[in-house]
Amino acid sequence: MQNRLFLNYLLISLLKERSRHIGVVLLSLLLIFLLSSVLFISTSIQTTIQNAIKSEPDFVIQRVKGGLMVPLPLSWIDDIEDIRGISTIQPRVWGRYTTASSEPETMLIVGIDPLDPQSNRAFSKIMNQTDIKSFLDGNNMIVGSDIAKWMDMHYAKKSYRFLSLGGEFISVNRFATLPKSSNLISGDMVIVPLELAQKILNYDTQNVTDIILNVPNHAEWSNLKSKLEELHYDIRVVSKQDSIKAYKQMFDYKGGFFLALFMIVLLAFAMILYQRYTQVLSTEKKQIGILRALGWSVQDVLRLKMYETVIVIIFSYILAVTLAYIYVFIAHAPLLQQIFLGTDGYSGNTEWIPVINLPTLMSILLLYAVPYFSAVIIPVWRIAVTDPKEAML
Amino acid sequence: MNTILLNRGVIVYLSSEIVLWGIFAIAFVVMISILYGWDFDKYTQKQYILQKRAWLTVTILSFVSIFKFLLLPYFVYTIDTLKDIVPGAMCAAGVISANSYGLKLLLLKILILFGFTLWIILNRYDLNAKNYPLFKIKSWFFILLFVALTVELWLDIKYFLHIDINIPVSCCSALFGQLEGANPLPFGLNTNTMLLLFYILYMLSMLLLFSSEAWLILIVIPLFGVISYYSVVYFFGTYIYELPTHKCPFCMLQKDYYYIGYLIWSSLFGAVYLSLSGAILQLLTKSNSKNLYQWSMKLFTLFVAVCSLYIITYYIRSGVLL
Repeated sequence: MQNRLFLNYLLISLLKERSRHIGVVLLSLLLIFLLSSVLFISTSIQTTIQNAIKSEPDFVIQRVKGGLMVPLPLSWIDDIEDIRGISTIQPRVWGRYTTASSEPETMLIVGIDPLDPQSNRAFSKIMNQTDIKSFLDGNNMIVGSDIAKWMDMHYAKKSYRFLSLGGEFISVNRFATLPKSSNLISGDMVIVPLELAQKILNYDTQNVTDIILNVPNHAEWSNLKSKLEELHYDIRVVSKQDSIKAYKQMFDYKGGFFLALFMIVLLAFAMILYQRYTQVLSTEKKQIGILRALGWSVQDVLRLKMYETVIVIIFSYILAVTLAYIYVFIAHAPLLQQIFLGTDGYSGNTEWIPVINLPTLMSILLLYAVPYFSAVIIPVWRIAVTDPKEAML
Repeated sequence: MNTILLNRGVIVYLSSEIVLWGIFAIAFVVMISILYGWDFDKYTQKQYILQKRAWLTVTILSFVSIFKFLLLPYFVYTIDTLKDIVPGAMCAAGVISANSYGLKLLLLKILILFGFTLWIILNRYDLNAKNYPLFKIKSWFFILLFVALTVELWLDIKYFLHIDINIPVSCCSALFGQLEGANPLPFGLNTNTMLLLFYILYMLSMLLLFSSEAWLILIVIPLFGVISYYSVVYFFGTYIYELPTHKCPFCMLQKDYYYIGYLIWSSLFGAVYLSLSGAILQLLTKSNSKNLYQWSMKLFTLFVAVCSLYIITYYIRSGVLL
């Protein structure tokens, strides 16, 4: 049979019988939309976090006591400096600060030494943009956009008075606000000079929270880690690779759990499809009978019905993925966002970084098309091999 | 529970494999019943029903084969992403050798895809011939495919269940690279003679495909395939990576090398599949497989051109060879 005529007939019959397919298309749309929204969001979060981790220091040195983190003395830096192969060492002071009010707001106080060569590459981006001299001049802070919004609402447009953990009030000027695009990570961050952070968090001047260091030669990482661990009995060395692996496993766990539950939905979907196709196709018996009487072979009818299925699948797939893209990356995924990020202590102003990659699209297609085809293949075959005589009865 | 099993790619891959195997198993049962009573010369009701059932097996096999071809790159990609979780692995080479099942699985997959190609080509000829001349052969072949698919599924599950994320695996440079002076190439070749052989075999293959010498194709093309594999891993690969010590068939599948490996390996395997299937069809039916040969010639040429271009552009840019 001529291909052009065949395709022509296929399209005409599809358009004419579109009401028969609408139920299946709507159901598929809903399913793929949900699946792809979730996958898009989780891919986007993973990419954001991976980008953030890339600019993290290679190693973080902590001191632990009974499994809990405690401040460590600055003298540890001198011990570490003797090890070859380390490029930058920097002390960090950071901690949580909760405001005293009826609706307490928690912020992450991060102290940095603006005069040190910036080890942490993410900070250096921000610090290059700010005038370091005037930042150091007096009590200044750079705040994340969520905290900025909170302070605006609490009459702290110019400065905010911290009640330090030691019991004294410290007034700090608002110097700048961090960009909203980094909100997922820095929304609740308050960046202050190191000494000020020590004051707010009530640290001894000789104590810091942890030490970060970079090792340019990646092949030396494991070697250096063991050297660092030999320095003190209560030292804990966290490498960047450990955190990448931990994040990856956490997302695998979350995503895997969702997918495992989604399998059950897919099973139900396949059963509905089987029923539906058996039903719909039995009403088409007469049409098939006529086609067979006109000289179509079983192969032609099978091809017609398979092509119909393929068109329905591709149509719903493209439409649903596009809708999910709009929902997640343009409308910022209302409702679903709360499930992923939680509602407490988080403002919900995240802009997802649009990430679309072939493996994600392929996963969606495989999860949808394989059960679909498997469910309809037998009903389609059954109708295609019906005798013309029997069909016309 | 093994954390590998919660990886998105692994879940999608394994569930697709299981569903496809399930539907193929239905076709297998039907096929057994067909083989039991098939006699094309009879005009009985039973033969008529069997012919109808044969359509089910054809439909299912075509459907399964389409997804099998999609699943091989997906599998390789999934393995590649697991390198972040499996300690020591820097590309798929490490992950695939995390246990003894991996390489067998990959090899079986490549063989199965060849089986599908061959079956589809035999089937197309069979259907066009109207009196099913190849029916018995393709049915037995179908059963063989089912057995292979069953072994594959078993290996799939065994492989993913036995990746231990606490035991470090080897990196590709340890698997393919420094072998302490031992020659990794087959037949005692060195790089120069291997390259010479590579281009000679390419010319020879083109000639044979052009003149449709089925027996010689069956002998020369597999040899060319093997030599191509070694040439890509031990010679052309070093130009893709621009590093004389980097020898790995998997790293070129990564983003850093613009996923060129997918093009290289798929063109090579596609060409080998098509030419061998064409030769087998020609021998079985004395028919003409010119069309298949022409496609495989195009794919072989694409493969050789891509590989050679890497060397030429490297020479033009740097003025020296590695």
